[in-house]
Amino acid sequence: MLAETSAISEEFLRQLTAVGEVDILVGIPTFNNRDTIERVVSAVQVGLTKYFHRERCVLINPDGGSTDGTPEIFKNASVEDFGMLLTSNPLRTFHRVTAPYHGIPGKETALRTLFTAADLLRAKACAVFSPDSLSVTPEWVDSLIRPIYREEYDFVAPVYQRQKFDGLLGRGLLSPVIASLYGRRVREPVGTELGVSGRLACHFLESDVWEEDLTTFGLEIWMTTTAIVDQFRLCESFLGPKVQAAKQFGQDVAGTVQQVVGALFRCLEMHESFWKTRDGSEALPMFGFQYKVALEPLRIGKKGVLDNFRSQLDQLVPILESILTPQTLLALRNIAQLTDRDFRFPDELWVKTIYEFAAAHHRSVINRDHLLRALPLLYRGWISSFILENQKADGARIDQRLETLGGEFDRWKSYLIDRWGADIGGER
Amino acid sequence: MGESKARPAGKGIDALMSRDGLWYRDAVIYELHVRGFYDADGNGAGEFRGLTLKLDYLADLGVSAVWLLPFYPSPLRDDGYDISDYTNIHPAYGNLDDFRMFLEEAHRRNIRVITELVLNHTSDQHPWFQQARSSRDNPRRDWYVWSDSVERYKQARIIFTDTELSNWAWDPVSKSYYWHRFFSHQPDLNFDNPAVLEAVWEVMKFWLDMGVDGLRLDAVPYLVEREGTSCENLPETHGVLKFLRRRVEEQFTEKMFLAEANQWPRDVREYFGNGDECHMAFHFPLMPRMFMALRLEDRKPIVDILQNTPAIPDFCQWGIFLRNHDELTLEMVTDEERDYMYDEFARDARAKLNLGIRRRLAPLMEGDRRRVELMNGLLMSMPGTPILYYGDEIGMGDNIYLGDRNGVRTPMQWNGGWNAGFSNADPEQLYSPIISNPVYGYQAINVESQRRYDHSLLSWMKRLIRLRKSNQVFGRGTMEILSPQNHRVLAYIRELANERVLVVSNLSSQAQAAELDLKRWKGAIPIEMFGGNLFPPIGDLPYLLTLGPYQFYWFRLRRL
Repeated sequence: MLAETSAISEEFLRQLTAVGEVDILVGIPTFNNRDTIERVVSAVQVGLTKYFHRERCVLINPDGGSTDGTPEIFKNASVEDFGMLLTSNPLRTFHRVTAPYHGIPGKETALRTLFTAADLLRAKACAVFSPDSLSVTPEWVDSLIRPIYREEYDFVAPVYQRQKFDGLLGRGLLSPVIASLYGRRVREPVGTELGVSGRLACHFLESDVWEEDLTTFGLEIWMTTTAIVDQFRLCESFLGPKVQAAKQFGQDVAGTVQQVVGALFRCLEMHESFWKTRDGSEALPMFGFQYKVALEPLRIGKKGVLDNFRSQLDQLVPILESILTPQTLLALRNIAQLTDRDFRFPDELWVKTIYEFAAAHHRSVINRDHLLRALPLLYRGWISSFILENQKADGARIDQRLETLGGEFDRWKSYLIDRWGADIGGER
Repeated sequence: MGESKARPAGKGIDALMSRDGLWYRDAVIYELHVRGFYDADGNGAGEFRGLTLKLDYLADLGVSAVWLLPFYPSPLRDDGYDISDYTNIHPAYGNLDDFRMFLEEAHRRNIRVITELVLNHTSDQHPWFQQARSSRDNPRRDWYVWSDSVERYKQARIIFTDTELSNWAWDPVSKSYYWHRFFSHQPDLNFDNPAVLEAVWEVMKFWLDMGVDGLRLDAVPYLVEREGTSCENLPETHGVLKFLRRRVEEQFTEKMFLAEANQWPRDVREYFGNGDECHMAFHFPLMPRMFMALRLEDRKPIVDILQNTPAIPDFCQWGIFLRNHDELTLEMVTDEERDYMYDEFARDARAKLNLGIRRRLAPLMEGDRRRVELMNGLLMSMPGTPILYYGDEIGMGDNIYLGDRNGVRTPMQWNGGWNAGFSNADPEQLYSPIISNPVYGYQAINVESQRRYDHSLLSWMKRLIRLRKSNQVFGRGTMEILSPQNHRVLAYIRELANERVLVVSNLSSQAQAAELDLKRWKGAIPIEMFGGNLFPPIGDLPYLLTLGPYQFYWFRLRRL
């Protein structure tokens, strides 16, 4: 307990002590989110009142040191008239706790703080909300909490309605790899909202992963895969469209790819004995009424992305030679020669590329940071191809296409296993 | 069995506190039914002679007023709230001489007497109604509200939803409909008729002349009907009350009206008028919220309702209670709150009645002595005059297998012997079966056994009542609610002139710590009022208190 409590400040602990035992804990980690935090807090408060008015609830805001007044807005945001929002006044005191946390600002520290609070307050269900969701509604609270609180699930992954080319890193890489290797089809393994049972939060806390550098997005991959490996009950909940403040496609894509995929590769190492023996995959139980609204299309500079792939591939060949098989590297160099109109990144090539990167990462054939820095370029190549191929496809067609890609990841799983333990010298 | 011993008129706390005529603000009221208290003549039901014999018990308990449920002649189809003669005593309870004797003996013990006056309606057996229905030309016809159609006053809700489908009932004698807000055998009087007003005043005067100290005015919101309204809380109804109050002030001193208006505080506030209507009114919404707060382990319901309770005129007072002769009414709560209360306190569907729960305090508290004490501690320390329900001071149980609200109106349990010491009659002859289960039965729960021990609930209640009565601040003081971060702890300051009391209550089943901001009283020494022990003086830092499960403290804040 001492190790856990050291993650939180004395003032934070003081506030938690006053709150006492709770049934539900909702966390909203923030860092300079003054423009959006009030709406998120209000939506959560209404959601808790509407769907969990009998339960003991606390809303916690671990803040990474905002300088724009975010914590003050968090504390003061209030719902004036519950009646107009078609819900009655809450039965219980609604607790709001905000406190800067110790350690390096970032989601991992914030989540650790929240899980520590959940442990101390003996919360039965926890949910984490992004502070910059513009599309958040009170129903999200129900969707993320109810499966845990009422149905005894341990981990609720969100499902968002996506614009057809949105979230391709997850849908075209993370999700199919997790499905093929871990046997569970998780559509949003890096969703910014999630639900976690109290017992799973405590389980996460006991891990020493907090001392590692899994980084912001990596933590979500680790939580998802750990929940699967350690036999917790997972499900998904449909939340609707996800609109984030000032989100621009391609914003630091390279960094995100490195972080997320690096974390995934790290998890594969941690869970090697689990995934090597698994076959097939199954969908998670899905909660919530699924609906669709028209979403504003994403604007993507395809030409620049593809040009980037072509122009930089040759420069990376010396590094890629250490990572990839000659056949795969040759195939990559060949597609880089194709015209814009004919450019395609075949599914098999994409799958082998990812698996070979994973195996090389495992074997540390080169410095892992260097290895991961080479990956975004290939991702750019794949995404260019995917967009060119599916420009006229609708959302359903895209889903079918990604399902086919998932099949390729399944089909080549043995290839990964072979590469995982291969003698790199012999291979080359 | 008898306990009546004449004793000289007291010069104790009650006498001293009543000098300004505001006795009702300092009182602790005890509600009882004559029928259920003590049967002296052995016919199976209590009567005034029996009640008189038990006045020493009430004096020893420390209560300062007795509120009697209806004792008038009645067909007893609504436990006496269906009166058929306003100026007499039901023969089962004695006669007017018995009542006068009771009144005199009560006053000798400094116990005031409050009686029921059911203004809104009579029994359909009352001569007034019998005459009114006899023909459409009868002079008393217009003493009630008649109609040839049921379309009038459609906006008025039905109160007894479990039994009544309409507020109109067909009278086959005069072949028209009569108006009734309660049971169909209780026709409403027509207060638009000045003759009715005068007749009601004569009834009041009859009892006040005899020496009755206060009148509980039953069902006052419904006196007058107007088309297009809910027929509740109408200005004309307030006009009736102002008229009656004026008459009382002209002819009497130290009399009190207690309004029964099961409404939101802002609506009940109107029954105080400008200090020219009722002296007291029940605070109905507070009661269920006290139960809710305890169950939720959260002070919010109590704080919310107190903060939404308007100020009342000087010399007026709220009447507050935990349980009474009716169901624990849930009319003044939201749908969600009602569902919660039903789920938590009425898991057995038989406990539900109308929009409420027909249970006594102890079973509602699952027999947990700590919770019973805490609830009484809250009751006695909140702003208002506390009203105890007979038997709750010993933790009596109830019988939800009896119909209507009879389950909370069973005979008082005096001892562990024959008929619980209530009556010498054959058990089969009793007006109601005595509670006899192993937990709340008379063998386990009775006055005699509890009187023997200082640690019994009865002994504890006596101490609580005496403490309450010895500090005028509880009845008359202001209340300031404190906001410790721990929501399981309810804390407030009661203040009257230089007297200050800090009340801190743990609503939780677990031990709790609370830090109180008491800077304003820096330097004062909290003195725990039950034991008289000094606590550390208040300093600059938040005042830290730890409280065991359901524990509460009353501190006198004394400056040296």
